[in-house]
Amino acid sequence: MAGRPSILARTWTTPVILIIILAALQLAALAVGSGPFNQTIIEIFIRVVLVVGLYVFIGNSGVISFGHIGFTCLGAYMTAWLTMLPAIKKSKLKGLPDIILDNKLAYGWGLLAAVIFAGLAAFVAGKVLMRLSGIAASIATFAVLAVIIQVYSNWDSVTGAQSSVVGIPIVRVVWPYFLCAGAAVLVAYAHQISRSGLALRAARDEATAAAASGVDIPRERLVAFTISGGIMGLGGALFAHSVGVVTPDTFYLGLTFITLSMLVVGGMNSLSGAVLGVVILSIIIQLLRWMEKGVDIGGASFALPLGVQEIAIGAVMIVILMYRPAGLTRNRELVWPPRKLSPEGRPAAPADGKTA
Amino acid sequence: MKSFLQLGLGAALGALMLAAPAAMAAGDKIVVGFATAQSGFMQAYDKPAEDAARIRIDEINKAGGLLGKQIEIVAADTKTDRAEGAKAGLEVIDKGADLVVVSCDYDFGAPAALAAEAAGKVSFFLCAESVKAGIQGVGPHSFSASVLAAVQGATMAEWAYNKKNARTFYRLLDTWTEYNKGICDGFDWQLPKLKDARLVGEDTFKNDDASIAAQITRIKSLPQEPDAIMLCTMMPGGVSAVKQIRAAGIKSMILNGSGMSGSYWLSATPDLSNFFVPDQGSVHGDDPNPKVNEFNAMYKAATGSDPSSQYVYPGYVMIDVWAKAVERAKSTDADAVVAELEKMKDEPTLFGPRTFTAELHHQNKGRYLITAVENGKARVVDEWTISEPIPVDYLASK
Repeated sequence: MAGRPSILARTWTTPVILIIILAALQLAALAVGSGPFNQTIIEIFIRVVLVVGLYVFIGNSGVISFGHIGFTCLGAYMTAWLTMLPAIKKSKLKGLPDIILDNKLAYGWGLLAAVIFAGLAAFVAGKVLMRLSGIAASIATFAVLAVIIQVYSNWDSVTGAQSSVVGIPIVRVVWPYFLCAGAAVLVAYAHQISRSGLALRAARDEATAAAASGVDIPRERLVAFTISGGIMGLGGALFAHSVGVVTPDTFYLGLTFITLSMLVVGGMNSLSGAVLGVVILSIIIQLLRWMEKGVDIGGASFALPLGVQEIAIGAVMIVILMYRPAGLTRNRELVWPPRKLSPEGRPAAPADGKTA
Repeated sequence: MKSFLQLGLGAALGALMLAAPAAMAAGDKIVVGFATAQSGFMQAYDKPAEDAARIRIDEINKAGGLLGKQIEIVAADTKTDRAEGAKAGLEVIDKGADLVVVSCDYDFGAPAALAAEAAGKVSFFLCAESVKAGIQGVGPHSFSASVLAAVQGATMAEWAYNKKNARTFYRLLDTWTEYNKGICDGFDWQLPKLKDARLVGEDTFKNDDASIAAQITRIKSLPQEPDAIMLCTMMPGGVSAVKQIRAAGIKSMILNGSGMSGSYWLSATPDLSNFFVPDQGSVHGDDPNPKVNEFNAMYKAATGSDPSSQYVYPGYVMIDVWAKAVERAKSTDADAVVAELEKMKDEPTLFGPRTFTAELHHQNKGRYLITAVENGKARVVDEWTISEPIPVDYLASK
């Protein structure tokens, strides 16, 4: 290892580049300043948080999870409980503990509580699930999602069952969302270069060898599962504050699959893939929406039929995956200066002949 | 993580204070913004009511406009999605909407209505029938153009008691939606007020239950067939429930909410009789008010088809009452318009009187036509207004 720079020194530019990309979106929002545009940028930031949350577990462990949106639901309801006006809570959510019923916190505390609550829930669920691997683990995570959604859809006195929970303070400024997306990227990066993150990645690529080298795979997975659960909770809380309404059915299969596809299209095994997948797919979706509304080209108005956007985004994803099966980033991280590639898509061996 | 969040909180509060007020609307026109579903399943509910609203807007524009200004329409698609709904609301506000019209359903309309409320604009739900669609679930500038679901249940119970001599009632609730529960809530409130009327049994089912045989068995095992079954359900499962009840040989009259109105589904139950629904206006061409039949013709001319159900009408009522309030306030300022709307007491409209108060921006009393289905044909047989309004406290506690 002598003479080889530390992993931090080699990769620190990745989070910087990603945060610069997010900052560019933030600046665009400031420059345009219109309500719907800002809301679009807010939505992108929330999805960045969610997909980065997925990446922390899925990307590093290689286990696909269909259950993470359940933690998003937990986070969304937690911040709703804490930040709504006591009067509304007392009439609609009578089953909450008195201390929650009588108080109202600023939304920043709601976000923090959402992270802790969802992280704790992920820890408890993960304690059991992380002993499984492969498809069994994936299906078990899906079962967790189903359990959470069923409980929240039926626990009338605490979640309002399937009725909308309203009265959540709405935050329409873009800054907090940007900061949270940036924080999620930093946490994900810090985890991935930590001892635990590296051990987990080693176990992903070669489980037997990693276990033989002393990696406690269930434990490392649990660490990643807990952190990613917390980030998903943050995403849910941000969603609640961006729209002002939560219902359990928002956090089910639709959101699960759109976030998973953003991760896969971007490149499942790299943090850059998670962020770029969201940004690029969101931009394509937005362009298609504008085309649905009609654009003027040289005086002629041209509009796609309504609903084409959903079909087109599916087609775009198929095309991307045909040509880039490992995602847009080919599972590599963005670094500066850019690394040269060998024809197989792997970083070229250093000039002195030592293997990387 | 924690310190980062606190940093975020500080920055967010700072940014909140700096947030600039929304852009001002242009002065020479009045803008109505539709933040409704143009795609997705809610489109089936939103589009007909929206078409009716556009008919009223055209009428006003042809008659010289509102406060001497033409009404302009802007629209944004919610795609039947809550997050998109919030964006659609912001978009029409950005385009200068003085009135923000939102989806028929409370759950799907609320994000856009909340956006309007935050911007200090008047919002109207096209046809939501939950008490939350208004002050209780959005805020003091929000209204609904329809009548509460509870009024439908209460109307049917009181009418059947007085006009059909019904004394024994059976309550069958489809727990699928808030709307269904609302109908039965109104029924529950009304029944104890009817002397000698009794509930002989109650049961629940789910809209997508393939069979309600168990529920039917319980009705059949009653010592005597009930006079009336209060069926709180809606499409699509309601049709199957009605079919099964009749197929089992139960002859009791069946009372419903407006969710089962319209004639488009009657071909599925060709010999249905003794079946009653409340309607705000008749889509069958036999409304006692000739102006409603004229409206139906206008609607057909504008859209190419007859109204399929009574849920077309609230869209027309909405623009009608809002425009009157704007005329009286001589301004589109939200607070002034809300004040005028709240002064409306039994304000006549094509589809029954409308009352708004500072407590309730919805109808807790309302005139309903009673439509009967006999031998598979629907026609208006009566009209009924409940003798007293359903108390707001009762509604809010549900």
